[in-house]
Amino acid sequence: MKADPVRRERLVEVFLTAPGFVWLLLFFLLPTFNVLLISFRPSTLTGGIGEGWTLDTLQQLRNPDYPGILFRTLWVSLAITVSCLLLSVPVAYFLARCSQRWKTRLLLLIMIPFLTNFIIRVFAWKVILHPEGWLASVLAFAGLIPPGTQLLYNVRAVILVSVYTYLPFALLPVYAVAEKFDFALMEAAMDLGCNRIQAFFRVFVPGISRGLWTATLLVLIPNLGAYVVPDIVGGHSSSMLGNVIVRRLFSDRNLPHAAGLSSVLTVLVLLPMIVVILHRRRREAH
Amino acid sequence: MKFRLLNLAAALMLILGFTACGSRKPVLRIYNWAEYLSDEVIEAFEKEFNCRVIVDVFDSNEAMYAKLKAGGGGYDIVVPSSYQVVRMAREGMLLELDHSQLPNLVHLDPIAVKFTQDPEHRYSVPYLITSAVIGYRADRMDTGPDSWAVFADASLRGRMTLLNDQRETLGAALKFLGFSLNTVNPEEINAARDLLIEWKANLAKFESEQFKNGLMSAEFLVVHGYSSDLLQAMEEDENISIALPKEGLSIALDDLVILADAPNPQLAHAFINFMHRPEVAAENMEWVMAMSPNLPAYALLDDAFKADERIFFSEEIFAKSETIFDLGENDQLYINAWNEVKTAP
Amino acid sequence: MKRSRFPLVVTVLVMLFFYLPVLVLVVNSFNRSRSSGPWTGFTLDWYVRLFGRRDIWEAFGNTLIIAVSASAASMLLGTLAAFALHRYRTRLQDAHYTMVYTPLVVPEILLGISLLLLFVALGVERNLTVLFIGHTTFCISYVTMVVLARLQDFDFAMVEAAQDLGAGPWTIARRVIIPLLAPGIFAGGLLAFTLSIDDYVISFFLSGPGTTTLPIKINAMIRRDAPALINALSSIMLCVTFLLVGLSQKLNKENRT
Repeated sequence: MKADPVRRERLVEVFLTAPGFVWLLLFFLLPTFNVLLISFRPSTLTGGIGEGWTLDTLQQLRNPDYPGILFRTLWVSLAITVSCLLLSVPVAYFLARCSQRWKTRLLLLIMIPFLTNFIIRVFAWKVILHPEGWLASVLAFAGLIPPGTQLLYNVRAVILVSVYTYLPFALLPVYAVAEKFDFALMEAAMDLGCNRIQAFFRVFVPGISRGLWTATLLVLIPNLGAYVVPDIVGGHSSSMLGNVIVRRLFSDRNLPHAAGLSSVLTVLVLLPMIVVILHRRRREAH
Repeated sequence: MKFRLLNLAAALMLILGFTACGSRKPVLRIYNWAEYLSDEVIEAFEKEFNCRVIVDVFDSNEAMYAKLKAGGGGYDIVVPSSYQVVRMAREGMLLELDHSQLPNLVHLDPIAVKFTQDPEHRYSVPYLITSAVIGYRADRMDTGPDSWAVFADASLRGRMTLLNDQRETLGAALKFLGFSLNTVNPEEINAARDLLIEWKANLAKFESEQFKNGLMSAEFLVVHGYSSDLLQAMEEDENISIALPKEGLSIALDDLVILADAPNPQLAHAFINFMHRPEVAAENMEWVMAMSPNLPAYALLDDAFKADERIFFSEEIFAKSETIFDLGENDQLYINAWNEVKTAP
Repeated sequence: MKRSRFPLVVTVLVMLFFYLPVLVLVVNSFNRSRSSGPWTGFTLDWYVRLFGRRDIWEAFGNTLIIAVSASAASMLLGTLAAFALHRYRTRLQDAHYTMVYTPLVVPEILLGISLLLLFVALGVERNLTVLFIGHTTFCISYVTMVVLARLQDFDFAMVEAAQDLGAGPWTIARRVIIPLLAPGIFAGGLLAFTLSIDDYVISFFLSGPGTTTLPIKINAMIRRDAPALINALSSIMLCVTFLLVGLSQKLNKENRT
């Protein structure tokens, strides 16, 4: 009476896979392809999507200003990512060597500010960086800037506030790996003649490389599409790709153009990612 | 323990959920500029018509239009500027108004017709008249600005903003250059574009939402903003002043319109009619600090309010000012110029 | 081995960095200046006014409804997906894995735009269901990731032992797998809940009239209206968070002893 076990196993697999898979197919993959398709539709002057097919959007994407914006998006995102990694490695190291009690306490302390709303946290920085606020006064008093200098609305402010926002996303995966790291290895390296700094870089950092990669992804990718932080604390010359997409969508009403730019971003992010993801899956299998 | 907490949270949310959908009164949904409708007026309307009013806000005609086009329907009343009404009507987004439900239209001041491209009120009823002016911190400047030229002042670098609005901001530059802000001459538009790119170096940013708060916190010292917002700011903070640039300004009429797919057109008509009851119009005017073109309402206003030429513009200001009109296909000229301004390094 | 002080110093600095804006907003919630500029005097007015704002509480209600439903749905879908991914090594699972992981590496703005354009094309009205769909879509991947990580440490010998003792699949799921995996599923759900409650980007694209969520409301108010009111709101939220965290710590300790 029992069904063929291979077929039965296959059925169980499908039963487990189908719900999430179909959901993501409908609400993730399908819409993404829809965006790709829309980039080949003509735009109408009324902000709609026209009939037929065209390569107009592709032509418009050769806008001479775009390479600059793309370059800025890349370097700002990289700067944010590198800063986050540089800060999270020592903190993760410290946390991993704390007693269990302190670990829990410190982790909670790290998480709590991030349970307040994202927009509110970004706006709090506007108060700190106010041109007549205390930070500016201190800097001016120290002679570092002329009084009344605008600290906001430039790329530096965007990087600072983004690091603030994304640091936990780097810290937590790095810590998760560091916590499992066997610190006896470092001591062994030092017994073999490494000094503390060498041991740190040759043993600890490679030991947590997986966490570093996860952190890189979790910080870099969202920042490539960032538009809220540059919009609030960035100025007129720090727009990123995300800002341009939103502008095409909500002020020029050129949907195909917005879709075209979105597709560029998708392709930029996804092609390398799919390779990485599949590679990781294969490695896990072994 | 964790599950206990979760249960507690779930119970809490259910209660909240029920209270949120408890009332079953008819709902009027309004899509408006921020702080552009008196809270007391809303309450009075809700009480009289036994309904609930929900107000969402936008910060530019373009953003509002894009959100509606992107399927953000569901609103009854929208408050576009008159030039945007033309476009929306052309695209069949607006309901043709039933004048039999709007007896208060008789109160309209004929002056409003000057600012609209829909003088018959087929789709729109004039709501408020405002202008885009310069607001500044009188306590940080020796002399207040009297011209759009203030945006060329490098000593205020990083402490000034212009509106993030293609027609208003290109319009300010066009006025400064002595051109019409409805010009379709590409050379004039390009000259305005180049001027804005020069001014841009002195700006903190293009800003349509935070110019008021930024000015009040002294983050910005000079801003380009809507007169109603800046007058509201002046009421709260004596250090703020307003300048009407000598080259002239853009005066805008914002209209009440009903969307073609409005869920509740009857209530929407009632609302438009309600807003033109003289006592309601007067109260709303004093709250928003803008002029409602409603003749009998003028008599109900404070004398000082009526004498304020930043609200009731003088003949002289009217003479040198203009209203932004819809330019049809030529809008593309402005879209392109504005994009170049925004992406210029 | 003598330990370096450097990690300690960086940790302290990072903590200061984390709490500086929080401190600023709590202080400013008592500042009379409504634009959150320089200090102009002490007031409790913002707290009083906050409770009179029906729209904030409505937005809060919407946010909770969406966060609870989306995290529940993604806990279910994500756990099933994690099981499939853990247990099978087929072509289907390679595709499944890619499908689950890609939303994590796609900037949120793209998810928002693509869903918006999809709903526009389908002519769907934007209601709470639309927001629920959007939030569940990005939560599934996070839950799957967390549960999958727990499964790596999961001892399947337990399942075999239960089978040997004659337990049926449902009993095994209910009595063995779920209790053992509960912390993982719960952690995933909590992550989903946190992400959903704080989501601005996707909600920005998908919210419509009457489905304003708290982050959308906060954004509108903080920009145009009164930042001070929002400071008061977030100070209260911080207090509640601190209390809940403290409480759970205490309960945890009591459970253990």
